[in-house]
Amino acid sequence: MALLEVGRVSKHFGGVNALQDVSTLVHRGEIVGLIGPNGAGKTTLFNCISGVESPASGRILFEGRDLIGMPPHRRARLGIARTFQNLQLFGSMSVLENCMVSIDASARRGVVGDALRLPWARFEEHRARERALAVLHFLDIAGAASERSQDLPTGLQRRVELARALCLRPSLLLLDEPAAGLDAEETIELAGFLRKARERLDVSMLLVDHDMSLVMRVCDHITVLDFGRVIATGDPSVIRSDPVVITAYLGEAA
Amino acid sequence: MTPTMLRRVLIPAGFAVVAIEPWFNDFSVQGSAGRAAATALLALSLVLLTGLVGQVSFCQYSFAALGAFTVGSLVVGHGVNFWLAALLGTAFAGVGGVLVGIPALRLQGLLLAVLTVMVALFVDVTVLAPGTWDGFSGGVNGWPLVPYPSLFGHQLGSYTFYLFALAVFAVAALLVWNLRNGKTGRVLRAVRDSEVASSTLGINVAGWKLTAFGVSAALAGLAGALQAVADGSASAGSQSAYSFQWSVALVATITVFGASSILSAAVAGFFIVFGQQFLDKIPGLSHQWFNLILGGILILQLVFNPDGVVVKTQRDIRHLLHRRSQRTQPLPVPAQTEAA
Repeated sequence: MALLEVGRVSKHFGGVNALQDVSTLVHRGEIVGLIGPNGAGKTTLFNCISGVESPASGRILFEGRDLIGMPPHRRARLGIARTFQNLQLFGSMSVLENCMVSIDASARRGVVGDALRLPWARFEEHRARERALAVLHFLDIAGAASERSQDLPTGLQRRVELARALCLRPSLLLLDEPAAGLDAEETIELAGFLRKARERLDVSMLLVDHDMSLVMRVCDHITVLDFGRVIATGDPSVIRSDPVVITAYLGEAA
Repeated sequence: MTPTMLRRVLIPAGFAVVAIEPWFNDFSVQGSAGRAAATALLALSLVLLTGLVGQVSFCQYSFAALGAFTVGSLVVGHGVNFWLAALLGTAFAGVGGVLVGIPALRLQGLLLAVLTVMVALFVDVTVLAPGTWDGFSGGVNGWPLVPYPSLFGHQLGSYTFYLFALAVFAVAALLVWNLRNGKTGRVLRAVRDSEVASSTLGINVAGWKLTAFGVSAALAGLAGALQAVADGSASAGSQSAYSFQWSVALVATITVFGASSILSAAVAGFFIVFGQQFLDKIPGLSHQWFNLILGGILILQLVFNPDGVVVKTQRDIRHLLHRRSQRTQPLPVPAQTEAA
């Protein structure tokens, strides 16, 4: 059984077909790339999987469970985490707090425990801090733990978003252009972290990016979208030489 | 001295002064002080909603009215025990808050503000309309003569009730303080900063916002119940102490002092009550100038100091202490290069 199965998902905005019968699979342990020109529907598909938008038709199965109609927070608790193309950090909070929120969210509510500062609330607080710090160490940004997240440069902010998503202990991670705004060196570093996360944290990924060096480096399979349709799917080496893909990227004349 | 140490000394000391001072005054000052404590609790309900969760509300006095008139009609009209009536009033207001919160889930910023204004105006022409309480055997203008309750067999007076109201505020402030510094506070700030990111991390955004509206309105209802006793009446009509204009004044005041600070709720409560009395003492002015002057202060404050007076002061003290602690550290040994 695939970890994530997207089957014939369609979504329209007015007369525009953002997604049309899009299907893709992510198996456990895989990093699947999702590429395509701007406006191909990549982010819309992410929104449908994470529950921020709902598709007009089609099905989305996660570990065999139907996600359609399920609110985003319940999908997150099933183990689907995501990052955002336009960064969505909690700007007023420190890097550490950003990461702790992921852990808080899945903990019991505990309003009473918090208000009275009961022992177990303090214990949970301590545990959340330790876990968040461990992830920050894993991504080599523990040094920035107490910085306010909105004061950081874009490259670091992207990594904090990655850390925050990993704190959820997801089995599926949706990465929306994680290399946008990174230089070549940072992108290579990111590729290393993604592979390390897959091996050590047992995270499968669906990755959207325009940076082909990243996509070709880390992805096991690639799905290519254009105008809301899947135009090609296969291994990186196949996709690289697929004439349909080259046409979509470079235009008819190529 | 660290900011935490300073806070542990100054806040209890200030609290003690505020608690003891009215004892030397007459009962009218003590009554006003009771009202100030209730208003501080109301301001705290707004700090919870606006400072923590980022939702605006121009109808906190409407929730307070639910508490006040529940106490008025049950205690004066039907001889129900005050504590039971206050509990019911708090619960009514809490339910009202959740009901307002449901449509508010889809609104933010300006539109949410408009919704809460509509709620306040609705309460003004229903609960607070002259004659509404006639039918419930009240007076034309609501419920006069709300008595002081007794606590554990001890009849409270104007000063002891003030102490009680102040204690209620202190306990509520402590609970909100703890909530803010724990897991709940982080989750609420996350919702305030980015709802979409919060939801994809597993936070039930709608649930937390409804909870915040409910708890905030319940605190406001409790404040109303206390204010009805401190005032000795729950008055409807055009002169009502719970009408829309006072909700606006509350938002303005809490903005002036800093909507994110619990201490500013305390300051705001006393400022609203005693600020008006202060204006009455100035020749040529009266308490009716309060909102106008408040508006002027608000404009100056937003231009020069948008975070709020109390928040700014706290930050300045922290900076000052930080600088001093750096200066008192031993100076580094100067490098011996120049002379040589």
